Amino acid sequence: MPDVIVDAQHVGRAFAMPAGPVHAVRDVTLQIRAGDHVAVRGPSGCGKSTLLHMLGCVDAPSSGTLLFDGHDVATLSDARRSALRLKRIGFIFQRFFLLPMLTAAENVELPLSEAGASKRDRQHRTKELLDYVGLSARADHRPSQLSGGEMQRVAIARALANRPQLLLADEPTGELDEATGAQIAALLDRVNADGTALVIVTHDHTLAERAARVLMMRDGRIEQETRR
Amino acid sequence: MTPGSLGSRLVLLVLVISAATAGAQEASPPDILISRQLAAERGLVVGSIVQLAADAAGTGARTFRIAGIYEPTPDPARLGAVPREVRLHLPDLLDVTRPPGQQPGTEYIANINIALVDRADATAFSRDVNARMPGLIARPSSEAAGAAGPFRVLERFHLAIAVVTIVAATVFLLALTIMLVDERRETVGILRLIGLPVRRVLVQVLLEGVIVAGAGAAFGLVLALLSEGLINAFFQWRYDTALVFVRITRDVALTSAAIAIPLGASATVLASWALLRRSGLRLARR
Amino acid sequence: MNALAFAWRSLVRQPARATLGVLGVAAVGALLFDMLLLSQGLIVSMRDLLARSGWDIRVSAGDLPGRGGRVSAATSTAERIAALPSVKAALMVRVANAQIERSGGGPPIGDAPSIGGGPPIAAVFEGIGGRSRHREPIAPPWTVVRGREARGDTEVVIDSAIAAAANLQVGGTITLRASCVSDREALPPARLTVVGIAEFPFAGTNEDAIGGSLDALKAACGGNVGDEADLLLVTSVGEPAETAAAIRAEIPHLNALTNDQVVGRLQQTGFTYFRQISAVLTTITVSFAVLLIAVLLTVSVNQRLGEIAALRALGFSRWRVVTDVLSESALIVGSGGILSLPLGLLLASGLDRILKEMPGIPADLHFFVFERDALFTHIGLLVATAVIAALYPMRIVSSLPIAATLRDEVIG
Repeated sequence: MPDVIVDAQHVGRAFAMPAGPVHAVRDVTLQIRAGDHVAVRGPSGCGKSTLLHMLGCVDAPSSGTLLFDGHDVATLSDARRSALRLKRIGFIFQRFFLLPMLTAAENVELPLSEAGASKRDRQHRTKELLDYVGLSARADHRPSQLSGGEMQRVAIARALANRPQLLLADEPTGELDEATGAQIAALLDRVNADGTALVIVTHDHTLAERAARVLMMRDGRIEQETRR
Repeated sequence: MTPGSLGSRLVLLVLVISAATAGAQEASPPDILISRQLAAERGLVVGSIVQLAADAAGTGARTFRIAGIYEPTPDPARLGAVPREVRLHLPDLLDVTRPPGQQPGTEYIANINIALVDRADATAFSRDVNARMPGLIARPSSEAAGAAGPFRVLERFHLAIAVVTIVAATVFLLALTIMLVDERRETVGILRLIGLPVRRVLVQVLLEGVIVAGAGAAFGLVLALLSEGLINAFFQWRYDTALVFVRITRDVALTSAAIAIPLGASATVLASWALLRRSGLRLARR
Repeated sequence: MNALAFAWRSLVRQPARATLGVLGVAAVGALLFDMLLLSQGLIVSMRDLLARSGWDIRVSAGDLPGRGGRVSAATSTAERIAALPSVKAALMVRVANAQIERSGGGPPIGDAPSIGGGPPIAAVFEGIGGRSRHREPIAPPWTVVRGREARGDTEVVIDSAIAAAANLQVGGTITLRASCVSDREALPPARLTVVGIAEFPFAGTNEDAIGGSLDALKAACGGNVGDEADLLLVTSVGEPAETAAAIRAEIPHLNALTNDQVVGRLQQTGFTYFRQISAVLTTITVSFAVLLIAVLLTVSVNQRLGEIAALRALGFSRWRVVTDVLSESALIVGSGGILSLPLGLLLASGLDRILKEMPGIPADLHFFVFERDALFTHIGLLVATAVIAALYPMRIVSSLPIAATLRDEVIG
């Protein structure tokens, strides 16, 4: 049985609001193993992104237990969680969040630099990743000079910089047209095929159909799980 | 100044005050006034009998009675110096300071201070005296110091500091308005895309700039008025003086507003102008 | 990419904003630097001027030299002082106003300008006379740069400004009217020989000066001088403080002050205004700079919250993003601070020129004097400014809720 990367047991997340607490996620039990390809779908406000943030140690559950690589996320310090995100988890966002003042190569290199890789290793890995996503020729271009699809590919390369076990994508094709979205979907398939576990939050059903497991969420709960 | 009136002759003398011994020799000594600071320093009160002499040896000492204690007019030229002052009737002062052997009536006075009924007559009055009385120089008090007077120099110094401060503030203001305008680039882009002309948007921006600058100037004025009180209180305590160090006059307030509001409005328009030169599409794009 | 390099790229991303921030700090920093120079400048300059004069004690009738009247019986007083074992020399100084005729004109009448040669040149005439141990020559309070010292009652030295204005050379004759008692005296002109051109360190910026013996001064004043001196200058054999105490013991009614004591008195009176204004303006400029840098950084950070949240999600530690903000502040304040030094020195020379126009300020006295301590204080204050200004924006990034911010960015 592949290793369990994330083990969520009855996790919930509530937000305190003036009108009373809002339970964005309720009683979710879920395991993500190495090599998994999971899509999370559901209507707006059902708690998909909140669940993704908890899986990625960006947010901590208000109830239940969430173990990442066997460590209880709630007991980890902020520094430890940051270290986990840097080295074990990759994030891809709907709005790309590339740094506009850095080139594509520099954006990809950022997590490597933060992880303390040597200059040689950084340069080598950056070239490798840009080749992987098909953007070697655009290495010295800034985000303002790239298309939406190209920016997302750079973002994927950046997310893979430190060889994470788990890649989390929040609406990765949300701001892209259908054709470009398909290219990104194919790239994500390849990432998963190369061994990285993948959890994608998406409204895009064609993207969701490519996943081995599809989780349907409603009102903060996983209503249905479909396996292909 | 009429003879016999309570006036002062501006002389630099060392006055020695010593408390009169019991059994003062003069039956009803002449009256004098002393400054509050001198009274506090020497523990003197109204009614105290003192002796004044022109030198430390006590030559020609005369006995006087303290008739009153006054608050000396603060002299900015002597800031920091404790005003140990005595005011006597002129004949008494002449008696104390007359060198031995000098005949009474042969003394001279260095200055005569004149208070006119109408202050505006000062220049004409001075001209008249100069024409009629050779050997005298009459001039209005405001011209006494001349361009090189210490306070004129300080005025120029303060002005130079103010200019530097305004330059620095303008630079920062420009930086801030550029940032604030940039925050609204999307809004401006959308307005342009839906058809508003550049001029219309600029008028909007100018209006906002004037309002913000006006509010800022008003706030600054309130802050200045508060500081005025604090600064004056502190320095009056520090130097034991009634001198006013900072005064926000109507002219000062109006000048500040006249500088601040156009500066603020211009900075906003300048920052926006650079933005508005771009197309609406570019501005509205994220 | 380390924090400084990252901060540099962040600033360069918005060049107009960054440039204006740096220039603003440079302008404020220049003013701050000048106020630090001013705070001790007068004291340092006066101390140096007094030390260079070669005289270590000043004896006067008032609480400060030049104030409070004249020293009476000056000759016998100077002799008594010179006779003290710890005194090397005592010099009497008497000062009078003089009106010098320009060559080519007749004598002036009253205040009217002289006929033909132009208006008379107003000057200060310093007359000196003294005693020294073992009859050693006494250095006057001026330095002859051409010619020789004045001797007797017919010779004087003049400053170069008078020489130029009155068209006088060494060996020439100067005609002047001096007034030792009052400006309203009408005395016959005195004709004296110019034997030297000298520098008068204690003469004011707009003041011309003549130097000679007391006898020359008395002759110029028509003998109407009296045995009085404005000041007695003393050099001591041993410690000036001990000598001053000995003089005070010998002549209790006079004030004998060492150079340090003169500076100390001036610090409490005449110079105190500049220390106070320096303190007030230093406080205001630092507060101003902190406020404005804080606002610049806060607005900048608020515009990039999404990026910062994304970096945190990617694994950047809280400490790292906080350091990025601090580095930005350090770069703006540091760059502006470096620029502020030459700017400050330039501004200081201009402000110094303005203040030196004050009457009675010696030409060699400066209000703004460069001192290493002022530089170190300036650097320290700028460092504090950078740190304090960054505190609030650092707090924003350190407490940024990552998930909520990412969510808001998508919705926004």
